[in-house]
Amino acid sequence: MDTLVARYSRPSHQDPAYTSDDQQQALADVAPPLSLNFALPPVASSASWLRAMTDDASNPNCPIKIAHGTTTLAFRFKGGIIVATDSRATAGNWIASQTVKKVIEINSCLLGTMAGGAADCQYWLAYLGMQCRLHELRHKRRISVAAASKILANLVYSYKGMGLSMGTMCAGVTKEEGPALYYIDSDGTRLAGNLFCVGSGQTFAYGVLDAEYSYEMDDDTALELGRRSILAATHRDAYSGGFINLYHVKEEGWVKHGFNDTNPIFWNTKLTKGEFSNVTSELA
Amino acid sequence: MSGYDRALSVFSPDGHVFQVEYALEAVKRGTCAVAVKGTNIVVLGCEKRSAMKLQDTRITPSKIGMVDNHVCLAFAGLNADARILIDKARLEAQSHRLTVEDPCSIEYITKYVAGVQQRYTQSGGVRPFGISTLIVGFDPGSEEARLYQTEPSGIYSAWKANAIGRSSKTVREFLERNHKDDLDRTGTIELTIKSLLEVVQTGAKNIEIAIMAPGKNVEMLQAEEIEKTVEKINAEKDAEANTRRGARGGGAAGQNQGAEQTLASRPAGEGSG
Amino acid sequence: MRGASILKANDDKTRQLNKQTLMAFSGEPGDTVQFAEYIQANIQLYSMRNGTDLSPYEVSSFVRSELAKSLRSRSPYTVNLLLSGYDPIKQKPELYWIDYLASSAPVPYAAHGYAQYYCLSILDKHHHPDISLEQGMKILRMCTDELKRRLPIDFKGVMVKIVDKEGVREEEYVDDKQVYAP
Repeated sequence: MDTLVARYSRPSHQDPAYTSDDQQQALADVAPPLSLNFALPPVASSASWLRAMTDDASNPNCPIKIAHGTTTLAFRFKGGIIVATDSRATAGNWIASQTVKKVIEINSCLLGTMAGGAADCQYWLAYLGMQCRLHELRHKRRISVAAASKILANLVYSYKGMGLSMGTMCAGVTKEEGPALYYIDSDGTRLAGNLFCVGSGQTFAYGVLDAEYSYEMDDDTALELGRRSILAATHRDAYSGGFINLYHVKEEGWVKHGFNDTNPIFWNTKLTKGEFSNVTSELA
Repeated sequence: MSGYDRALSVFSPDGHVFQVEYALEAVKRGTCAVAVKGTNIVVLGCEKRSAMKLQDTRITPSKIGMVDNHVCLAFAGLNADARILIDKARLEAQSHRLTVEDPCSIEYITKYVAGVQQRYTQSGGVRPFGISTLIVGFDPGSEEARLYQTEPSGIYSAWKANAIGRSSKTVREFLERNHKDDLDRTGTIELTIKSLLEVVQTGAKNIEIAIMAPGKNVEMLQAEEIEKTVEKINAEKDAEANTRRGARGGGAAGQNQGAEQTLASRPAGEGSG
Repeated sequence: MRGASILKANDDKTRQLNKQTLMAFSGEPGDTVQFAEYIQANIQLYSMRNGTDLSPYEVSSFVRSELAKSLRSRSPYTVNLLLSGYDPIKQKPELYWIDYLASSAPVPYAAHGYAQYYCLSILDKHHHPDISLEQGMKILRMCTDELKRRLPIDFKGVMVKIVDKEGVREEEYVDDKQVYAP
């Protein structure tokens, strides 16, 4: 338990001279603390214990196989933000699911994507949704994307080194910021940007996306580029596949553009556009 | 003594929390603070306690404090309590910037200040803050002035113009009579000073004025400019008295009555609580 | 799960602490921004509370002591810093080199990481205390060119900021020239 206590007693923004007294602190804290308090397993170092139990790269017989493997992307353009993901979850070499929803609808104007540990992402993005709603109720207006992403970044940073594995993006619009896109990972890195690809298939998605990306694209071109980039990744990355989940974040909020099987999309792309020419149906 | 005012945060049978009411008395003994909203401007005015001969007024702390670059706070009541409360508010303002990446809204920081004040009415071993505050400023990116008041009980409320502290009732009534919705910069400053002159006997040298405009740092009005405005107001008052006197036709009697009027609007009782 | 792709090429790795001090940082991802913003908030809080800014020397002492405290805690910040500022009383610019082990040294020029091995010799030769801004920019150009020439890691551009008595400003820095090792 004391490892956890030590984490939370890290120097935050408070001056020790004013908070030396617990009661003083209680009197000054109007808002509840950011993180819930978890019980940790009764081992000396939970981080190294988790690593030993779950690292299937160094030990293929490890007892816990965390669901991993993803391609997610999001990019900003003049018509808003495109968010696209695949839908495969793998645990080691085993495909655990082909129908995972990796885009999490935080509210009508804010989306989160999940890559990395499926449970970590699902849980903490749901938690982020809760915090965003609370912010909305307390402040009487929708949370900015900057603030929402920072809640998540501060949260995962407080668990740094304890085995969280997440690479997520927050995409959303507010009146003050316009369309905004942030990348957050479990190292505690948080970056604002125009274009991010996250997950094991990121390199393949970057390849297609970087080559044809332009801020001045129209909506249909942007949606198609998002779809095609995920398709590229599902084609080459064994840990990505299933369905393409596509969203468009506009001024008024996000619009969903389907959850479509990659297989017909792949064959359609190959047969109508002549791409993927290395795939042949002839024998030998 | 019924004993209910001994232990804090305990109700009396008829629903009073005496310590909070005593705190309000401390507020009434504090020097007066006024705030007035205009269009794209908000002005804070304070009565300064007259300094003693050897006091260094140049560096004696002011009743007007900055909570953040865009939030200004004036208080009435116990100076020492205010220092602690303002400090908590400053910390929260910075903490808000750190976690949300935006400066806080005026309502947010008001709610925080009121929240702290409320907590000190509901826990053992502490005493409520003996201050009321006026919090003014502009929300980030907004052109509309904000003005809030907080009280020792933890109540907060929004105003177009308001006064707290000694003789605040007189000043508030004056503001109610004279406030208009579309005051410009000079109009807002003049109304603030005029309302303060209702209760500040010694005039310009005991008045302090802070002005806030959207996206700008606070501006403390120079002593000479306050002096100028006071003179202007006095001249207007004299002119008005003269015309009234002219209409009535009685010289000395009118002047006498004028003096009585200013005295009457300065009730001696309210300050002593 | 996160690959080795470059996520952002123009990330601002500095934070302005008060009107005339700027801190640049490098180190463990997450730690850097977290520590820099923590320092920034505290320096600004000091300015709000006291109605006056801390001088660069005072800021450096505070930063050093925070790092020293963190170093002896269960989870130290792994952050290297360059702290620059203009002292309005001494009317002098100052620069502090601070590393994650909480060493702090006032220096006339500084670098962190591998860049040190390439840049410090150039700065040793060409820097003089009384150089003008133009000469300073010229030496900076020599440094970035040398990094492009010799640093095995590809070099993704620089962001240049100037701190002087007017405060902090960003300077445009054209960096598209190819430089090859002869």
